[in-house]
Amino acid sequence: MSEHSLFPFTHEWLSDMDLSLAENLKRWSDNELIAKRLEYKEDYEQLLMPAITKLFVEIGMQRLLWPEAHGGDGHNGPAAALTMVAALEQVARGDTSIALLLSGMWAFQSVIAMQGTINDTVCQGLAGFFGSDESPALVSLILPLYGSDAQASAKLSNGQWTIEASNTRPIASGTDASIFCLLCSLGESPDDIGLIAVPGSAKGIERGEAFLKTGLAADRNADVSFNTVKVSENGCIAQGREACHGLLSWLYLGISASTVGALFAAYEILKEWGDSRVIKGKGQVFKNNPLTASVMAEVAKETSLSRMLTYDLARILSEPSIYGAAGEEANFVTAIMVAHQVAQAAEKAINNAMELMASAGYATEWSLERYWRDAKTMQLCLGPQELSKMDMAGYFYQSTAAVSGKK
Amino acid sequence: MRTIDDFTRPLEYLSPLDDPLGKIVRDWAENDVIPYRRQFDEDWEHHRLIEPAFDKLLGVLGLQRVLFPEDLGGWGLGRSNYIGTAAYRLMEEVARADSGMGVAFGVVYWPLLMICVEPHVNRELCEEFAPIFCNTSEARFAANAMTEPQGGADIENMEIVKGSTIQTTAVLDGDEWVINGHKLWPTNSGGVCDLFGVVCTTNPGSADPDDFAFIFVPADTPGCTQGPPYEKAGMAADKNGDIWFDHVRVPKHYRAHGPGLDLTYFKEVITMGNLGSISFVSGAMMNVFERLYDFTSQQIYQGKPLKEHDAVAGVLADIVKDIEITRIIGYQYARMVDRPDLYGPRWDEGIVAKGRAYKYWACDQAMIDVGKAMNLMSAYGADRDWDIEKHWRDLKIVQLWMGGKQLCQAEVARWFFDLETV
Repeated sequence: MSEHSLFPFTHEWLSDMDLSLAENLKRWSDNELIAKRLEYKEDYEQLLMPAITKLFVEIGMQRLLWPEAHGGDGHNGPAAALTMVAALEQVARGDTSIALLLSGMWAFQSVIAMQGTINDTVCQGLAGFFGSDESPALVSLILPLYGSDAQASAKLSNGQWTIEASNTRPIASGTDASIFCLLCSLGESPDDIGLIAVPGSAKGIERGEAFLKTGLAADRNADVSFNTVKVSENGCIAQGREACHGLLSWLYLGISASTVGALFAAYEILKEWGDSRVIKGKGQVFKNNPLTASVMAEVAKETSLSRMLTYDLARILSEPSIYGAAGEEANFVTAIMVAHQVAQAAEKAINNAMELMASAGYATEWSLERYWRDAKTMQLCLGPQELSKMDMAGYFYQSTAAVSGKK
Repeated sequence: MRTIDDFTRPLEYLSPLDDPLGKIVRDWAENDVIPYRRQFDEDWEHHRLIEPAFDKLLGVLGLQRVLFPEDLGGWGLGRSNYIGTAAYRLMEEVARADSGMGVAFGVVYWPLLMICVEPHVNRELCEEFAPIFCNTSEARFAANAMTEPQGGADIENMEIVKGSTIQTTAVLDGDEWVINGHKLWPTNSGGVCDLFGVVCTTNPGSADPDDFAFIFVPADTPGCTQGPPYEKAGMAADKNGDIWFDHVRVPKHYRAHGPGLDLTYFKEVITMGNLGSISFVSGAMMNVFERLYDFTSQQIYQGKPLKEHDAVAGVLADIVKDIEITRIIGYQYARMVDRPDLYGPRWDEGIVAKGRAYKYWACDQAMIDVGKAMNLMSAYGADRDWDIEKHWRDLKIVQLWMGGKQLCQAEVARWFFDLETV
């Protein structure tokens, strides 16, 4: 039984296309990544870049949620939230960092390309990136690192936005991005914020050297400065807190789904260990020891619950007529809570799996340590949980703690 | 400004070496390790950067000699009554800079404990092996070859398996032991080892303590082969690999003590392994404190340093609370090691079990705390330039080695609750 059917999820919410896509991506993960990871480890040139290109361009993930009118496959309705989860689980099972790149791209596309609110001018301008048959369209999101403090500011003058930002730290892809999407402060009010899309080739962009980091090897990231970078007025793709939060809700959904994929991989590795390892020299297979079985159960429990939560969030985002827009405070706060919960569950579960495997847990040969590093690095894309809690308290208790720190 | 020296230590029972040696090792860490450690991960295979730092610490400063008697060129620490507290401080200081170096440093002593420490000094073997470590200014490494492919650290689960799972055999042939077997994972293997302490059985399948043998094997003995180092999540400075013993012949007197006593004193090795583990945790966590202090002071959120925000301060408090407790517990355990007249011999099952308990508590808390520290740092938490992610990767390895958490749990529950089957 594959993890696809083993761990619970709400089948009835998925289309046949979603299920078929998941099966195909499972095969892609098996063939392009899992079968090669012992040989190539985390080699970017030999393993990861070819896999990214195949996934984004040849299989066409960068066109999947893109409007047909602009060269995409046209699955750009809100139901794409469920498609996205089904896909990202399987991609992340093969490589969590590639799933993060997809998550960022799809979150960006959700702002400009969603049916009913398509921004045709922007889509037309970016069609060359997402419709490309040659190179992957990598989107680098530059979001607040702590709570609501934007890393960039922008001013509108004479029909152009001028962006200033020094040494911003993107979520991903600072080195390789074709498109940057910056959450900018547009004025004095905390609510005066907007998302501005900037082609990676724009004048005034200064990319630093890629920095070394814990995990997510397919993401080559660097600090990026924007020195008086100018984009046209319609480059501002969303304005106001709710509109910006819409992108974040989709990003958090993508991160949750990718984390579930990492949990699938951890489960598979642990299962192989539990089936084959003999302890106490008495022929007892590892999984049959009650002490270790109870910890293995924790891994399965966290994986199951994380998957269910993630599908629930996807359902909320896929039905705006019932639940409201993705960026509404209730949905945004739910997305934060789900993403943090899933990230914490993954941290706990993969830690447990590593504990059970002792030295094999941290040996590169068994690959588990890679998912552990990746899941933790992915968690950091969510920002400090303590500051996210201020948003939760603001919604549930009308706490003003999120802004009281300024006083 | 607070520093790591503001964390509490039990001042009344620190070793006389604590201050002078602590300062020397801290200077070494500041000058020879910390400026280079961010490049260590890529140096895991060849140790081009790491080796010079080891040469200085172990060879030039001479810390590889400390256990041996003074008349053999050593410092006589093995005959002192402060081996635990002195070792704790040294290993803590090394681990503050790099816990991979900390374990490689600590394990130089690990097999030598069997022969250099009172009340079971084996003078003949001290004389035999002292020149390897005392007559050079280059680093020399020793390793405990325990773990085997078929059951991992099962071998360390002495109270239950009693050596019955050991498959590395030692057969007496005249005045020589003939050793055959395959070991995995020892710290200081992967090609760097000079002297192995090898856990063997003289009667495969036997649970008789007399059949447990701890035999020294110089690494250049014919038939002894070290494989290349493994690639791991962290601890690049600690090389681990396979070792094969193919009809390796060593003199009969290379067995540490003989039937029964080898197993008895081997439990002391476990005690010291747990003590070392706790010291690596507290050393690394003190550096986590230092780096987190810098980060949360420099990063500005809503117009003031990150650390000045109430919610952040709560997390910072959780982290330093655990560092404080870990350090106190670690020194307390070191004191128990130093005073067998009060707490029982170092090989006593209670001392071993308590060490397991302290070790896994310290590791669990450290993993939670470093994880929280990384979360506070947001996108900088995974950035190697801030060092904290390195400690996170390294400390996970401390948590998992020596049989991992479940073996700790089993030993702790077994001793405190008189379990008979677990």
